[in-house]
Amino acid sequence: MVKEWWARFKFFVAPRKAEELDEELWFHIERSTARNVAAGMNAEEARRQALIELGGVERTREQTFEQRPGWWMGTVAQDVRYALRGFRRNLVFTIAVIATLAVGIGATTAVFSVVDRILFRPLPYAHDDRLVSVGLVQPMQRQEFTLGGFFFEWRDQQKPFESLTFETGYGDCNLTGANPVHLHCVSVAQNLLPTLGATPEAGRNFTPDEDIPNGPRVAMITDGLWLRRYNRDAGVVDSTVDIDGHATRIVGVLPRDFEMPRLQDADMLRPAQINVAEQHTVNSGIGLPLWAFARLKPGVSLAEAKAEMNPLFLHTQQWIPAEIRKDFHLQVRSLRDLQMADVYRAAWVLLGAVLTVLLIACANVASLFSARGAARERELAVRSALGASWGRLIRQTLTEAVLLAMVGAAVGYGLAEILVRVFVAIAPTGVPFLAAARLDLRIVVFTVALALVCSVLFGILPALEKPRAQVLAARQARPGSQARLRRALVVGQIGLSVVLLSGASLLVRSFWNMEQQSLGMQTRNVITVHVPLNWERYPRGTADFYNRAEAAFRQLPGVTAVGLSNSLPPGGPHGGSRYSELEAEGRPPTAAGAGGSVAWRQVTPDYFRVLHIPIVEGRDFSEEERGLDQHLAILSRDLAARMFPDGHVVGRHIMHELFNPYRQAGPVYTVVGVAGMVKNGGLTGEDEPEFYELRTNGQAEYWDNRQFFIMESSLPASVLAPWIRARVAQLDPTVPVEMDTMKQVVSKLADRPRFETALLGFFAFCGLLMAVIGLYGVISFVATQRTQEIGVRMALGATRVDILKLIAGEGVRLIGLGGVLGLGTALAAAQLLKSLLFNVGPRDPATYVVVAGLLGAVALAATLIPARAAMKVEPVVALRYE
Amino acid sequence: MSNVEGSVAAEMPPTTDLLQGTLDLLILQTLTAGPMHGWGVAQRIQQVSRDALQIGQGSLYPALHRLEYKGWIKAEWGPSENNRRAKFYALTAGGRRQLAAELKTWERLSTAIGLVLKPALGRD
Repeated sequence: MVKEWWARFKFFVAPRKAEELDEELWFHIERSTARNVAAGMNAEEARRQALIELGGVERTREQTFEQRPGWWMGTVAQDVRYALRGFRRNLVFTIAVIATLAVGIGATTAVFSVVDRILFRPLPYAHDDRLVSVGLVQPMQRQEFTLGGFFFEWRDQQKPFESLTFETGYGDCNLTGANPVHLHCVSVAQNLLPTLGATPEAGRNFTPDEDIPNGPRVAMITDGLWLRRYNRDAGVVDSTVDIDGHATRIVGVLPRDFEMPRLQDADMLRPAQINVAEQHTVNSGIGLPLWAFARLKPGVSLAEAKAEMNPLFLHTQQWIPAEIRKDFHLQVRSLRDLQMADVYRAAWVLLGAVLTVLLIACANVASLFSARGAARERELAVRSALGASWGRLIRQTLTEAVLLAMVGAAVGYGLAEILVRVFVAIAPTGVPFLAAARLDLRIVVFTVALALVCSVLFGILPALEKPRAQVLAARQARPGSQARLRRALVVGQIGLSVVLLSGASLLVRSFWNMEQQSLGMQTRNVITVHVPLNWERYPRGTADFYNRAEAAFRQLPGVTAVGLSNSLPPGGPHGGSRYSELEAEGRPPTAAGAGGSVAWRQVTPDYFRVLHIPIVEGRDFSEEERGLDQHLAILSRDLAARMFPDGHVVGRHIMHELFNPYRQAGPVYTVVGVAGMVKNGGLTGEDEPEFYELRTNGQAEYWDNRQFFIMESSLPASVLAPWIRARVAQLDPTVPVEMDTMKQVVSKLADRPRFETALLGFFAFCGLLMAVIGLYGVISFVATQRTQEIGVRMALGATRVDILKLIAGEGVRLIGLGGVLGLGTALAAAQLLKSLLFNVGPRDPATYVVVAGLLGAVALAATLIPARAAMKVEPVVALRYE
Repeated sequence: MSNVEGSVAAEMPPTTDLLQGTLDLLILQTLTAGPMHGWGVAQRIQQVSRDALQIGQGSLYPALHRLEYKGWIKAEWGPSENNRRAKFYALTAGGRRQLAAELKTWERLSTAIGLVLKPALGRD
């Protein structure tokens, strides 16, 4: 056996020469001839009989050659060489196919990788499909929540869950000490990690003893913090650090891929140490807000769990004031739904877009191969007549298709890598996990396989038809074969392109609207500085610090005004109140719970000055009024109109009800002015009416510890930054300082829509490009096929313009049909985009007109180029064309 | 002319299509007698089978080369009977082993077929 292979190998490597075989055969024939002559034939006849007996010298030679080991490889090499020659001759075809495949594969792979990671990724918990989020929802609070007042009852009496756990939301904490840094800390129940199924990668979870009121100060840090700050030093476990001025012991490090269930950016976890008994008295008797998560018992479904929790919910409902009871509903949903709710829509739209591009690419490949097949029909017929077996013909076309597919796939893979990096670079911070997206190997394999299948299928199709005899007889290949298929493909491509273009255009317009809308304030030359303070260091209130910082900032060069606020427009969280809690003087009170909410900001007079918010009635607060102990307010224009429809606003009074611990009258505010409206619901959200309260020193104890400074300055932020930090450090060296220009703050809000628009625009562009290439290819092919006919027509008297109309007419028909079909589909499908659009309806006529115009123009150009070329052909040349 | 044709035609025994494997076996067996060139092998087989087997000479040379590539026979150029150069094939050790194996297989096969066909052939 081995010897056999060795012998074959030797012959493979050192083949015999052809002359030897010839000599051998001729020897045989001579001997045969000699025998025939001896039998009595004449010389000629003898030789002829000898040859007949041998059975065809050429055939014998061929068959003998075929025995040679490695012969079949030679034929493959032959096919490859032939294919490459063909590619070089038809460069347009080759490049078109490779480009189409590359774009199709690249775009699909990149987007699938990214979307798969977002939509289908496994959560870093054990059996993540059993994890749910539980709580109440109400219109003002989309995220389900629970309150300490009833959570612990639920925990003790619940049935459907293996365990119920919570976290109390994240807050700021400062890692003080040598290098103060501002961190995000989350307080969690002791059983959060076990419920989620996550184990620390170093150290341990909290023990139940550490999660009792006034328990020891311990914490767990995330892997990210461990790396950044401690360089993964194992000694950090059981070490003590300074958090907000208190010595805290680090007991464990969270695993590398750990995430908070609500995806907050957390650096540190601390035990919640909640006093259960107290929950019925704190926070007006309702208890602390808690975000609850649970693991379902095996075999219990979401619906069953919700049904089983319902009695507990009904019991809790009794404690909700009757007026607002109907607003609250029980919600139990899977953790994945919780995390992905925002992103689902955008991800599916993206998938839809990329699948459309893939379809167009496939159609293009099919159409290109089909055209080439038709052109080669004659050649295949000739080869068949010369003795090529059907299998050999198929193999030859297969070689071509596979070669193209491989090159296309390689280029596509490169393109996919680039695209993924681009996606990650422009990724908005709001989309979870986008930043970690990478090419997924499974998807690469899938798309490459798809490309192979596509090419092979469409490449072989022409060869599968047995070449017809009449093709040989005709002087020129007829264009009839598969022409209808090609036309249908082009129409389809154009239609799909229209759909993509429409979607992209709608998004572009929406984005433009968003960017161009008036914010009601000025962002130029405005710098924001966020200075979160450590409560513990300011037991007598933070007002003094902020006032001194403000004074220090005022002295900086180039700074013309410095304002303070406890939140920043247009997005970002801001305080709020219910409209029904504001009682206007001389007006009937609003029914409890009705009227929606009102945004609430505590500001200094310069706030309006820095942001150039106009005061349309009355006046701005004054600096002197800051020292008084009065409650002064400025209303936004819509709030003023609602509260005081009779128009007389300035000087009126408004009482703010309090609920602590029961409904009672609160402070009375005097309105000093009315301000212009400023966007405060993010870039796309609904604006709420806004209530500006003057921050006075008299209420020092009400100042919170997260203030924003906004300053107007003629110097750029980079120049001022070190000075600002220095000033703050002078006052308190442990305080972290975060700076941004107002422009950046606003721009970050537009990150997501910008990303979606860019992506969809890119796909629309790809789709259009490929459809146009397909159209160009088909028209060009048709023109070439009809060259003889053109020659005849011109000889019979047609002018060049007639020829142009003839060829271009075909293209126009295709464009028209495709365009109409596409517009119809786009109008129907645009509804899906509705939630992504801002200030633009999905049936916006201007957009569709532009799309139709754009597509028409580009497609027409693609048609005219080959038509012009056809038109310029000399009749004499055309007639002789074969 | 037709006379000659007729006589030649009468001389040609009926051809039997041979399976590739069987042809290999015949060639190997024939070569046990000693090195031979292709023409010699063809004549020999015809002779020994008493003209019952006339192998299609178109398949002879492919078979010979195939056997050579497998290493069962080796070839050498040398002078032939009429002083022309011819390629002589000889069995190799591996070829002999292969021959022995194939003979055994052939025997088993033909015995088995014989058993099946016994009633039809009416033999014992």
